[in-house]
Amino acid sequence: MSVTVRPAANAAPARLNIRQNINALSPAQLADLRRAFKQAMGLNDKRGFEYFAGWHGVPLGWCQHHDALFLPWHRAYLYWLELALQAQVAGVTLPWWDWTTTGAIPSAYTVAQAEGEDNVLAGAAIKVFGAAPKAGWPAHTSRAPGHDIEQVPGPPYQKEWAYAMQASNYTDFSQRIWTVHDTVHVWLGGTIAQVDWAAYDPLFFAHHANIDRAWRIWQSAHPGANPPANVLGQSLQTDPAMTVRATLDVRQLGYEYAGAQSSVAGST
Amino acid sequence: MQRWTSQALPLPPRSSWQRADLEFEGVEHDGASFVLHVFVNNDSADEATPRIAASGYAGYLTVFAHGDCWGDVGHCDITEPVSAFDRRPPHPLVPFNATLEVSEALDALPEGTQQVTVTTLAFNKNGDSAGVLRFSQLTLITYA
Repeated sequence: MSVTVRPAANAAPARLNIRQNINALSPAQLADLRRAFKQAMGLNDKRGFEYFAGWHGVPLGWCQHHDALFLPWHRAYLYWLELALQAQVAGVTLPWWDWTTTGAIPSAYTVAQAEGEDNVLAGAAIKVFGAAPKAGWPAHTSRAPGHDIEQVPGPPYQKEWAYAMQASNYTDFSQRIWTVHDTVHVWLGGTIAQVDWAAYDPLFFAHHANIDRAWRIWQSAHPGANPPANVLGQSLQTDPAMTVRATLDVRQLGYEYAGAQSSVAGST
Repeated sequence: MQRWTSQALPLPPRSSWQRADLEFEGVEHDGASFVLHVFVNNDSADEATPRIAASGYAGYLTVFAHGDCWGDVGHCDITEPVSAFDRRPPHPLVPFNATLEVSEALDALPEGTQQVTVTTLAFNKNGDSAGVLRFSQLTLITYA
């Protein structure tokens, strides 16, 4: 799928990067994704995965939840991380995990070995960037789907997704989608169920790509239904910072979510 | 598990509303993540109660919470803007409002029901019986 857009007025059209369902990645694309994460995990500076993981919880704690900034902040977060991954392997995009259609974590994120080595998507060491470890900090990511709190309903979350999509304004949509977002995190258990450590798990970004995709789909059905005007100019804590307004159009951020599209060669 | 039952809330006549929400106001999320199962007019609901309309089951809410504070002293104290020119985002632990639509659960109550009590069962990983769900006020909102 190929889509182009003008990044600015009078600018030359640029090709968008297309995010895909994790289950739709070709073996080569999945290998590229793993390579990008692995290389980013090997960098102990502000290009590295641990630096970005630290934005969400320990040590920086920049994330926004349960308010109007939830969707914009996480869109910006994925945008910056995706660029960092693309700096390692050109063209990679963050795939989404569609927890509305499956009751299990995608195998890409669970198999222990891939391409003859440890699968970096299955988990990661937690090495907090720029901070000495404290007693009690987890050394590695963990998950315990359905076990940490057995009373948390498990996926698929089709009904919850549909309920969110029925919202007629941003505030209702945001609240409904953050509710199912919370459920996915807590159902997963382990470190990904804790704000402080969740983003050290690569699965976090597949979950959030699906949340971001939900917002994108809802936006398409509700053009102009933006976050409240009083937050549009709010600067989101990322590095570099980005305003809420700058997150509203994914095409101006250079990506789109895969849908159905086909092209044929033009005439000469 | 933490169990809590509200005082009775007046329920407007069914003909006067199209949708009904329960709003848990000022929910604190500085502790462990938790899930909340909600029943209406079933003060004896417990872990074994079937989660079906006939039991007054209204639905669930899950809260992805902050967990332990790993910062220095004061790191997780909720701060207010220091001035009118403070453009920083709100503190991440500011309590929030959680909404659960309960239209179907109220529809399942006997015709003519005039008041509603709400029973919540809150579960966290630690199995705590207190301090799991902390909030300031519960409001039943109906929409014409």
